[in-house]
Amino acid sequence: MSEFFGPLDSECRVPPPQQTRVAAFLISAHGALARQFAFALPMKLESAWQTELNAQYHREVEIVSVLLRATTWVPDLALGYMAVSWEMVWFPTPAEAIPDRTLAMGAGLATLAHAVHASIRPAALLPVEANADDPFVMALRRIEFESGRLMQAQILFLKGPELAPFRNAVSAALERRHAQIGKLWADALEGVGITIPRAE
Amino acid sequence: MPFLSHGSYRIRYELDGPANAPAYVLVNGLTQYAELWAAYREALVARQFRVATFDLLGQGTSDKPALFINQDDQVTALDLLIGELGDGPVFLSGISFGGLIALRYAITHGKRLSGLVPMSCFAELSPQLLLLGNAMRTGLILGGTSYLQDLLLPMNLSDQWLKPLLDKLDSVKRQGWLVNDVYALQNLMESFLDFKPLTSQLASIGVPTMILNGEFDFLTPRALHETLRIHIPNSSLVIIPRAYHAFTLEKPALAADLLARFAEDVIAGRWQGNKAVWIAPEEAGGALAPFPAGYDHLRAIPAQGTNP
Repeated sequence: MSEFFGPLDSECRVPPPQQTRVAAFLISAHGALARQFAFALPMKLESAWQTELNAQYHREVEIVSVLLRATTWVPDLALGYMAVSWEMVWFPTPAEAIPDRTLAMGAGLATLAHAVHASIRPAALLPVEANADDPFVMALRRIEFESGRLMQAQILFLKGPELAPFRNAVSAALERRHAQIGKLWADALEGVGITIPRAE
Repeated sequence: MPFLSHGSYRIRYELDGPANAPAYVLVNGLTQYAELWAAYREALVARQFRVATFDLLGQGTSDKPALFINQDDQVTALDLLIGELGDGPVFLSGISFGGLIALRYAITHGKRLSGLVPMSCFAELSPQLLLLGNAMRTGLILGGTSYLQDLLLPMNLSDQWLKPLLDKLDSVKRQGWLVNDVYALQNLMESFLDFKPLTSQLASIGVPTMILNGEFDFLTPRALHETLRIHIPNSSLVIIPRAYHAFTLEKPALAADLLARFAEDVIAGRWQGNKAVWIAPEEAGGALAPFPAGYDHLRAIPAQGTNP
């Protein structure tokens, strides 16, 4: 077990089974976010914040698209079972203790998106010697970089005035989402020989 | 790897050195992690100190609260760590953000301390520091941890330190990039959004206090340390020649020696603050010199020029 991808091949590329597992996880997570943003996005934008929602949707689709094309795919027998468990976790869940249903659903989606963007760091799995010209390597760097920016919308909303009265509930919901998704990510990696520090 | 518990959060710490010895507790700067004190552990343990280091909440291997990090929680975490040290003398030192947490601890728990060493520190946000902090936060948001590191390295370290590393800066930055997460650094920075100056509370710090400031510290210049010197009754200010904000990284042997000498002097009853201003030696073991009378210590150290 290692904290990083490897052993790399002679051209310093990530082994295809690791590419497949990581790309499948990320496509599942970001694909779920894309679907949920698409569902929340009206045909005609009525508020300024919906322009950010539009941007989030397109960035998530871009992440899915780049992974589909940059990954060297190989069969992974565990993926069927794992994908089902992942998809169940992404299912829209309203944040608890927020009486307004729409606000609770928005907070639920924001906690999911924050956890995916903040706690999943695929580029941190790349060893120093990873080939910078490899598309999969570049894709992971791009996804981690973009995630840091995408997360800002979730931070603004979760720390914003609408949710200020529910600060403790929001914080608790977000911590639960981080722990839940961090565990899924760690479990997915463990199956392909990668171990990352995780909260017990 | 031992952990302390603060509510649902875990704080990773490390203790080195003889169990019954006087202890030094070292508090990280914003983008740092406990391993960066390795040279201090070695030097201080060799001088018969116990050394406690830890990752603040949001840093390194400690838990990273997802949305909010309160500076009071950092003080509580520090108190938990100091609680592990028994009843012997405790000297507390912190760099930059860690210095601020150390100041807060000294204000609220000063009786537990034998001495305090704030380094590259501040008790209030000057307009420059406020705007630099905002710019660093924006840099983190737009460019990630790596870009924040790119800003901090040239601001806080000297040409002499940087020059031999120019072609391997990625490896210098890598560990900090790996262990620090954008959202956690952002939470640490945003703990300043409701920051209230500590200046009016500094007079309550009764312990001997040695304030360390780099001669060329751009981020937290002399005036911010002067606030500490003026308001902390039993204090003195020591200026580190040719040093920048991150002198703990650049001059570990000198800084560790100053820490050890300060604690040895306090324990021996030799140390007197007198709100004096000193110039540190260039190398560990050298003598401190009083800042020359008649010169303004808020400017650079007056020195004889040498002809080229």
